[in-house]
Amino acid sequence: MNKGNIQYILLILIGVSLWSCKAKNDFPGLEYAPNMYHSVPYEGLSQVTDENAGKWLSNREDGLGEYYNSNPNNPFKMNMREPVPNTVSRTEDGFLPYRIPKDSFALAGRILTNPLDSTAAIVSEGKKLFQIYCVHCHGETGHGDGPVGKVFLGVPPYNVGRVKDLPEGHIFHVITKGYGRMMAHGSQVSPEERWKIVRYVQVLQNQN
Amino acid sequence: MSAKSKSRRHLPAIVFIFLQFLSTSLFAQDAGSATPAQGEELNAEMVAAGETLFNNNCKVCHAVHSKVLGPPLANVYERRPIEWIKSFVRNSQQVIESGDEYAVNLFNEYNKTMMTPFDFSDEEILSIIEYIKSETLKGPPVEEKVTVAATETTVQEQGISSGLLITFLVLLLIILVLILVVLFVLVSVLTKYLKLKAELSAEDKEIVYQELEFGKFIKSPGFVWVATFILTAFIFKAVIDGLYNVGIQQGYAPTQPIAFSHKVHAGDFKIDCNYCHTGVRKSRNANLPSVNICMNCHVSINKVTGATEPSVEIQKIYDANENNMPIEWVRVHNLPDLAYFNHAQHFEVGGITCQTCHGPVEEMDVLRQQENLTMGWCIDCHRKTEIRTDNGYYDKLVKIHAEKSDKPMVVEDIGGLECSKCHY
Repeated sequence: MNKGNIQYILLILIGVSLWSCKAKNDFPGLEYAPNMYHSVPYEGLSQVTDENAGKWLSNREDGLGEYYNSNPNNPFKMNMREPVPNTVSRTEDGFLPYRIPKDSFALAGRILTNPLDSTAAIVSEGKKLFQIYCVHCHGETGHGDGPVGKVFLGVPPYNVGRVKDLPEGHIFHVITKGYGRMMAHGSQVSPEERWKIVRYVQVLQNQN
Repeated sequence: MSAKSKSRRHLPAIVFIFLQFLSTSLFAQDAGSATPAQGEELNAEMVAAGETLFNNNCKVCHAVHSKVLGPPLANVYERRPIEWIKSFVRNSQQVIESGDEYAVNLFNEYNKTMMTPFDFSDEEILSIIEYIKSETLKGPPVEEKVTVAATETTVQEQGISSGLLITFLVLLLIILVLILVVLFVLVSVLTKYLKLKAELSAEDKEIVYQELEFGKFIKSPGFVWVATFILTAFIFKAVIDGLYNVGIQQGYAPTQPIAFSHKVHAGDFKIDCNYCHTGVRKSRNANLPSVNICMNCHVSINKVTGATEPSVEIQKIYDANENNMPIEWVRVHNLPDLAYFNHAQHFEVGGITCQTCHGPVEEMDVLRQQENLTMGWCIDCHRKTEIRTDNGYYDKLVKIHAEKSDKPMVVEDIGGLECSKCHY
């Protein structure tokens, strides 16, 4: 009988100790074969700067911890790196680098023309993008009444006053470089996507 | 109650009335001295016309009672002469270049932001000023404060309701336990009483001395067997569950360098996930936003809703921005290198919502891993999820599939279970 009891107690202990392997808050949980969880090549979105992390199972030639995943040659040991200065990104559609200075709104409005036609497909794609990147400030109908716009303040309605008649180049330039309180969104939407958004904004400009 | 304490009780009210009297009299004096026309009634027509003009043209950069991009306009008709306002609205740059001291100071104070020139007629400018007058007299809007208070109370109410439920359950439990105790006490008192009584029939005795047999029942082989079985089953389940937890990060919710709340951003303010996670539509990785994306909104939002002091957490974005430092977010969802996953394929092509795999992120203050992200979980979804066929790409496959099966085409049917789809 005594032997049986010990077995049960052991089983209970195993159960409890296994239960504590569960991931919770800052603890990612017990890892089986940890090498699988920690990338060997540089990982863009997770970085381990601690050189001793995972040293207990390390067989690296440089003697660092198994989990260490940082590029010592980059600023802040980052794994990702900004493109070399003056790099020109090329697209399939041949959009050239954008060189109009930030405050030249009138110039942009005069010289830029939309390479995309205002077809139903383009407008609907523009609407889709508008609802991702613009709607929380400018509102569903472009009246400047989005949930963020109400707190941010200073978001104009598209279909009245000065904003109603702004040319497409001006709109494109504002998305790219920002205007007034609005910051530049060029890093989030590609030139082609910007022109699609412009098409949809023009629909909103012309609504009553 | 003594007269002294009575007067003390009324003291706040008296002070309040006095202050109010003081402020109103001061305000009246101020306004009276500045514009003699104050006493006159405002021209309702002009106010209405001015309101439309203001909302269509000025609202972008100005508010009556708060600083937006330009200065608050309350009392502007007292601060500056009408002629000055007219020329500034029509061409502010000219006024600044003419060396007008007030204009130059204003220009410098507002970071040399140029005001767009507006070609308004005298009448239009006067009606806008009339509107500003009416808004100035109304005083700062209290609407915003009310909404904030309202959201706060709803939050509190929710807290109370779930708290109430728990206290109710605990109370119920306590009551049940008390009833059990009372019943036990009753039974024991009654049996004691019966034992003291000599004249009991054999049947009655059997009932009274039942507890002795209860001990026997516990030791009976049948009971021991059942109890052992149940206990073993429980332990077995605990061990298996525990083993299944190994290597699974479900529930992982690490502390982030900035206490960012998805609930506030994606839930309350309804910002699309793609706004910050720019890679979801185009790339394998969802991407974490760079600081400039945070700054798109936080350039002017430095407080938490309802707070009066700037937020410490938002300050961390400003520090990172000024020092050109990366924010080291802690990765929550992590697939091993041996499995390939592509966000764009699932979101943009498949039309799968973010919540399918990430759970109700828009309700999470601290982001946690909702699903277990095991291979079984992936496969399970690939067996059930129908292919999006509206893009025309799979038209031929759909046709072939329809010939040999009457079930809709799922991911499994186009090779979604092939090993090399994800492991290569």
